[in-house]
Amino acid sequence: MAETKQVIVKVKRQASPKDPARWEEFSLQWRPSMNVIICLRDIAENPVTRDGKKTTPISYDSNCLEEICGSCAMLINGKARMACSALVDQLEQPIRIEPLSKFPLVRDLTVDRQFMFESLKRVKAWIPIDGTYNLGEGPRISPEIQEKGYPLSNCISCGSCLEVCPQVNEHNQFVGAAIISQVRLFNMHPTGAMNKSERLKALMGPGGIQECANAQNCVHACPKNIPLTESIAEVNRDVWKQALLGWLTG
Amino acid sequence: MRQPKIIVVGGGLAGLMATIRVAEAGVPVELFSIVPVKRSHSVCAQGGINAAKNQKGEGDTTDKHFDDTIYGGDFLANQPLVKRMCEAAPGIIDLLDRMGVMFNRTPEGLLDYRRFGGTLYHRTAFAGATTGQQLLYALDEQVRRHEAEDKVKKFESSTFLSAVIDEGRVCRGICAMDLRSMEVKTYAADAVIFATGGIGAIFGRSTNSVVCTGSAQSALFQQGVDYANGEFIQVHPTAIPGEDKLRLMSESARGEGGRVWVPRNPAEKRPPRSIPEAERFYFLEEWYPKYGNLVPRDIATRAIHRIVYQEKLGVDGQAAVYLDVTHIPRETLDRKLEGILEIYEKFLGVDPRVEPMKVFPAMHYTMGGIWVNGEDQATNVPGIYAAGECEYQYHGANRLGANSLVSCIFGGGIAGPAAAQYAKNLEKGAESIPSVVFDAEKKRQEEKNQKLISQDGSENPITIWREFGYIMTEHVTVTRINKNLEMAEAKIRTLQERYKKINLSDRTKWSNQTLNFARELENMLILARVITLGALARNESRGAHYKPDFPDRDDANWLKTTRAKWVNNEIQLAYEPVDISLIRPRARRYDAAK
Amino acid sequence: MSFTASQPDTSYLLRKLHSFTGILPVGAFLAEHFWSNSSALVSPQRYNDVSQELQTIPFRLAVEWGAIFLPMLFHGGYGIWIWLRGKSNVSDYPWAGNWLYTLQRYTGLIAFAYIGWHLYTERWLTHGRSTYANVAEDMQNPWYLAFFVVGILASSFHLGAGIWNFLCKWGLAATVKAQQAAGRFGAVVGVTFSLVGILIVLSFRFDWHPFSAYLPNK
Repeated sequence: MAETKQVIVKVKRQASPKDPARWEEFSLQWRPSMNVIICLRDIAENPVTRDGKKTTPISYDSNCLEEICGSCAMLINGKARMACSALVDQLEQPIRIEPLSKFPLVRDLTVDRQFMFESLKRVKAWIPIDGTYNLGEGPRISPEIQEKGYPLSNCISCGSCLEVCPQVNEHNQFVGAAIISQVRLFNMHPTGAMNKSERLKALMGPGGIQECANAQNCVHACPKNIPLTESIAEVNRDVWKQALLGWLTG
Repeated sequence: MRQPKIIVVGGGLAGLMATIRVAEAGVPVELFSIVPVKRSHSVCAQGGINAAKNQKGEGDTTDKHFDDTIYGGDFLANQPLVKRMCEAAPGIIDLLDRMGVMFNRTPEGLLDYRRFGGTLYHRTAFAGATTGQQLLYALDEQVRRHEAEDKVKKFESSTFLSAVIDEGRVCRGICAMDLRSMEVKTYAADAVIFATGGIGAIFGRSTNSVVCTGSAQSALFQQGVDYANGEFIQVHPTAIPGEDKLRLMSESARGEGGRVWVPRNPAEKRPPRSIPEAERFYFLEEWYPKYGNLVPRDIATRAIHRIVYQEKLGVDGQAAVYLDVTHIPRETLDRKLEGILEIYEKFLGVDPRVEPMKVFPAMHYTMGGIWVNGEDQATNVPGIYAAGECEYQYHGANRLGANSLVSCIFGGGIAGPAAAQYAKNLEKGAESIPSVVFDAEKKRQEEKNQKLISQDGSENPITIWREFGYIMTEHVTVTRINKNLEMAEAKIRTLQERYKKINLSDRTKWSNQTLNFARELENMLILARVITLGALARNESRGAHYKPDFPDRDDANWLKTTRAKWVNNEIQLAYEPVDISLIRPRARRYDAAK
Repeated sequence: MSFTASQPDTSYLLRKLHSFTGILPVGAFLAEHFWSNSSALVSPQRYNDVSQELQTIPFRLAVEWGAIFLPMLFHGGYGIWIWLRGKSNVSDYPWAGNWLYTLQRYTGLIAFAYIGWHLYTERWLTHGRSTYANVAEDMQNPWYLAFFVVGILASSFHLGAGIWNFLCKWGLAATVKAQQAAGRFGAVVGVTFSLVGILIVLSFRFDWHPFSAYLPNK
């Protein structure tokens, strides 16, 4: 085995939210087009650390493995990214793997991102249809609007934009770029626009759009290349216009 | 009046649609899912959703959609419900459109349609190359709205273990395990709708997501819910090989003009783009001039296998053929296929707009699934309903591209109100069932966990699973030979023996993914035998089921549905006739007009 | 999470006010201040004339407090509170925007401290009667000089980056292109203020008046 290439991986472990965190190092056999998920699977099959100590398999979230379900976001060499598309050959070794730091930890690399789904509720991120019975076609939408809306609707709720945002932390319940961008998407739709003012109002609440401080990390970190800063700017404009108008007209 | 309650297990398209419909019927619904429902496998569907709206003036009709579906499925599907589905499809598209799905549009602001495999019409509505994701999100958003109104309660980190079935053989709820606390609990309900999706993990690597293990279907099977047509497994012709997953390269790549070819010279050394046209073998176009690159999936898959294994023409001598979109204008590619081309670029580091993609077939979909009646998605156990990929009803022996999304939404849309109606009509609801029924089921499941956690053994579940996947992929996918199937079945039995000696490397009781996987693996092994035995018995070739020793379809003996039953802890195969009351079976050929 | 949490709260208003006061009146005052003090580049006499003009405006105290001191205090004080609610991570994500985010906080603090000191020395100690001579004398102290330079650079940077932030955060520059243009505009403002500010300092320090030729020959 001397001539086979090894991959050194360091994983931050934590048995539960109450337990202390610790690091474990693993040495794995390199294979072509290996990604971080394959590393974690190799460890699960043979959970022995580099110095020969037996340990438990690593708990982590994953599902589609093609960067569209949003499950496997974690910190890889200090950066928030999807583990499935993190190719070992493109990473500096030892590869450091940690859980996202801005969400409550469950175990090892598993975190609870329920906050994002609750935020979607808060901003009414849906189209208010009357019912699923047959009511004919939807409103016509120009290809131009579709081409703007489609990229926004690609958001996979992975949480990368929250993870990298300096304004998201234990003192600050900022909803984050993804949610603001969803507000833009639903306000853009002819039927969705019927809830526009409620959505904008929700974004003026605690943790609302005002918490954005324009560091613009979100747009760099987004694995789906969503124009998040553009969304924030546009929604910001809509919010203050509505606020000003509301203040002027009582 | 008694307030009924419904449980939905599975939060993909079918489960979400069922949930919405139950909520609309005014019945409280609890939705169980292993992952937050927005992360369900439906997001992986790429190409589109079929509906004969005839928006390109080609004279398309729902009858033609129906005929294409039945014909594509090689006449194994019961016809009346398929007809209803095709008739409902345009309405489903309208509904999704109203829900705000960002479908691609024509300059007039109408929905755009593309061509897909197995049809000659532009019948497939699409949202870029991530249609499944867009559809799932639309339903997810509606469910979230109902959740905000307290009509739906979600359990999004919970795995289904078993149904709670009373002495009268009626389902009264479920037993589920919280994947964080590992706590086993029972939940009473008057009816349960299963929408637990695909079974890809049974084949080791597939185009499916990690959660698509078929474990729930298998658990139900072992509780007396019949499983139909398990042997019909769709292998998608074009996937990107990978060690963790075979990533799908959507049929839409061919729908938009992508061409499949190999160099005519097996020793070809030149880069693909410098190989002149005359020296390229566009084998699908040559063999199937009418449908060309858009023949149904089973046909394309076998053609690629033939090219690679018999003609020895695989690219660079490997198991791969070219899927070429480099001749399509960049602007079109970016507008219509960006999502899928990005996947290729991201995972292989090669730009498919410049360099033809290398692809190979991969296990993709199960046409077979939980047996349901031809009426309202009810299974043979009262109170249990099934919808989506986990049931068997709509695709016969082979599914046409872009028909799965429509069958999920249609099936879920039927199951919801049917379950609600059943629950309302029940004289005695789940609340009147003595708690001992629930406690007994809970105890049975807890004991299973305890045994797994405490036993000392020598086998690793992941090692068993890897070996298992290789066996299934090699012998129970594209080409089936009886002696190999027998061998595969025997090997699965030995794996079942080895499973009894597994040793969990994690014995903790908090977020223990090893324990959950071990439980799934046991169920997967049983379902794999259902598939293998079904394939072994069916001595004919039909749709995705291909036996070189029996190369023809045999309607006289095999125009029938396989219905597997669990009797005395063993698998028994029974058969029932197919409802062919609407279209008379005819030979299925794609090299000429049908 | 309940829906009552969606009610607007005062933090929105205060944040918008913070952003707005940075431009008006604080940014505008800074522009005016640099403009007036540039008269030192012409001659000490011209500087004293302009100073006296400003020192004798009607309602001086009200204008000073209402349009300068209070908005500045609010902008600075609330800015510090905002800083405490953020957590810089520029070492992990060293992107340009993130650097600006972090530097905006430090330059804000420096500028706030500097302006406080500057007001104390040039406004309070002089009872609002500061002259060219006072300032020129202060500038002979190398520590004073250094603090002046640092303060001017920090304020100029803070204003330039603040303009960029303002244009983005109010949605006046939304698209990637518009935000890039806003960034360039902010950079031009920052650099211009820095240069002019340094020139003014040099003028006091070295009794240097490059525009003295503008004066009519006597």
